[in-house]
Amino acid sequence: MSINKEELYKKLAESIVDMDEDLTIEISKQVIAEGLDAYDAIVNGLTVGMNQAGKLFDEEEYFVPELLICSDAMYAGLNILKPHIKVGENVTKRKAVIGVIEGDTHDIGKNLVKIMLETGGYDIIDLGRDVLPSTFVEKAKAEKAEFIVISTLMTTTMEGMNEVIEILVEENIRDDYKVLIGGGPISQGYADKIGADGYAENAAEAVKLANRLVVAYGNEIE
Amino acid sequence: MSLIQRNEELTSLERVGLTLQRKEVDRIPAIPLVCGASYRVLGTRYDKWSQDAEIATQSLLAAQELIGQDAFLLLVDLSVEAADFGQKLVFPKYSTAFPDFNNQYIQTSNEYEKIKKVNPRETKRMKQVIDIIKGLSKEKGNEVAIMGFIYGPLGVLSQIRGHKDLFVDLIKHPEEVLAAVDVITDVLVEYAIAQVEAGAHAVCVDPLYSSGTILRNTTWEKFEGPYLKRITDAIRTAGAGVAIHNCGDGVYFEEVIKWANPVAISVAYPAHGSKNWEEHAKNWGDKVITIGCSDPANTGLVFTADEVLEDCKNQIELFKKHNAGFILSTGCEFPLNGNLLNAAAMVEASRRYGRSNN
Repeated sequence: MSINKEELYKKLAESIVDMDEDLTIEISKQVIAEGLDAYDAIVNGLTVGMNQAGKLFDEEEYFVPELLICSDAMYAGLNILKPHIKVGENVTKRKAVIGVIEGDTHDIGKNLVKIMLETGGYDIIDLGRDVLPSTFVEKAKAEKAEFIVISTLMTTTMEGMNEVIEILVEENIRDDYKVLIGGGPISQGYADKIGADGYAENAAEAVKLANRLVVAYGNEIE
Repeated sequence: MSLIQRNEELTSLERVGLTLQRKEVDRIPAIPLVCGASYRVLGTRYDKWSQDAEIATQSLLAAQELIGQDAFLLLVDLSVEAADFGQKLVFPKYSTAFPDFNNQYIQTSNEYEKIKKVNPRETKRMKQVIDIIKGLSKEKGNEVAIMGFIYGPLGVLSQIRGHKDLFVDLIKHPEEVLAAVDVITDVLVEYAIAQVEAGAHAVCVDPLYSSGTILRNTTWEKFEGPYLKRITDAIRTAGAGVAIHNCGDGVYFEEVIKWANPVAISVAYPAHGSKNWEEHAKNWGDKVITIGCSDPANTGLVFTADEVLEDCKNQIELFKKHNAGFILSTGCEFPLNGNLLNAAAMVEASRRYGRSNN
């Protein structure tokens, strides 16, 4: 009996929304065993499921715990499918380095932004938590990233975001990157003050902001 | 004798106390949450400030002398309690301590039983906070309100387990989490009583995850509601007032009031279900006193003093328009390197615009 591809991808998406990591793994393995296209399964299965979870989060049906478990399932599926993506099929994506600024270990918000940017088609280099301002710049250069995305939850550490921008200015590479900031104490006023390119209130807004910047400055930041 | 502060009709303590009782005052209280930022007044380092009760006490006293805020808030950092349960911390020289996330005390969902009762009067960090309160009480306890501070039990556990892992465990291992929260609560009850005995006039509890941006309201209630009640009941029984602080977006006022019955809630954002401060003041102004709601980053790092005055004036007028209980404050801790003159400007705003006959 031939496998119904669309039906399988739908089930893959549902396994993400249902937070059923075991089923995600099982279906991802089935995709490979059936010789289906791994990239297709990521786009039409995992990403669709994660987008649905993100929508439920926006609607206050899902909250942080649910979204984290959905993303665990998504990454479990990704780990199985990614090695099978055919050469040339992996479309070049816009790259961003992301992290929580030095002195702060609250990374839930950063992780949500990372998940949403990834499902929004961005290639994310996650620097983790407690990241030195200089590390953001070094990694952005090394990875040839277009975006530097910085998060903090605390008023006590937010000035580190300013340091990142100061380093970019000192090194005369400020225009090479778009700096996005966010987190509990951050405001548009603070973003304006330190000269960040954008501030987003939440993960969904961060994706929209990045997309807007790509449209506005697309050619400049390529 | 103060070289800086002016004589006013009421002492800060009287002003805060009467406001919490919704009685007439000379002006609304102003409490910019200058906690860690006080280390700069004495020129010490943050890691010393947060590990030495005497340095912290003298810094807080000096900052209050300079700024004139109507209350001390004993927020040292959100890792105080976690450290005493065994969590290793990192102490940066010029920033707040935080858990060593490479070395979480609880590394798997099987390890929640490692949480054991401790005596906060004998531990290192909680005892320091108790000692700071004693020091402040001795020097200014008759003049300035002293608000103790306790991180809620779920928050404490998140510092010990790691935030992400704890949130996942709420769904996958709820019984283990609840057992640990129960043990932590027993300790926090004792900690709260000790703070009151040391001289705190009120104790502020921070149930950070009672927010629509983190947990479903019923999830928060299950994992922290009844435990918060135990702590806040103990504070009242010990003879102090109960306040809540939560700088998260969309705090569940209804549920928090149900479990904690606080006289005041300190917030950075309007309550869950209120689209803006106007709605917030209308919905909650007669039920609980709002402590807020200046954006701490703008107040400390962006605004000029004139802009702080204007911002505060707008808030005072908005809450007054709705006859809503209000204490002027930053919605979260004043930035460590924020302009302290802007904290003083907030107090000045209450003198200029917060008088009852304005």
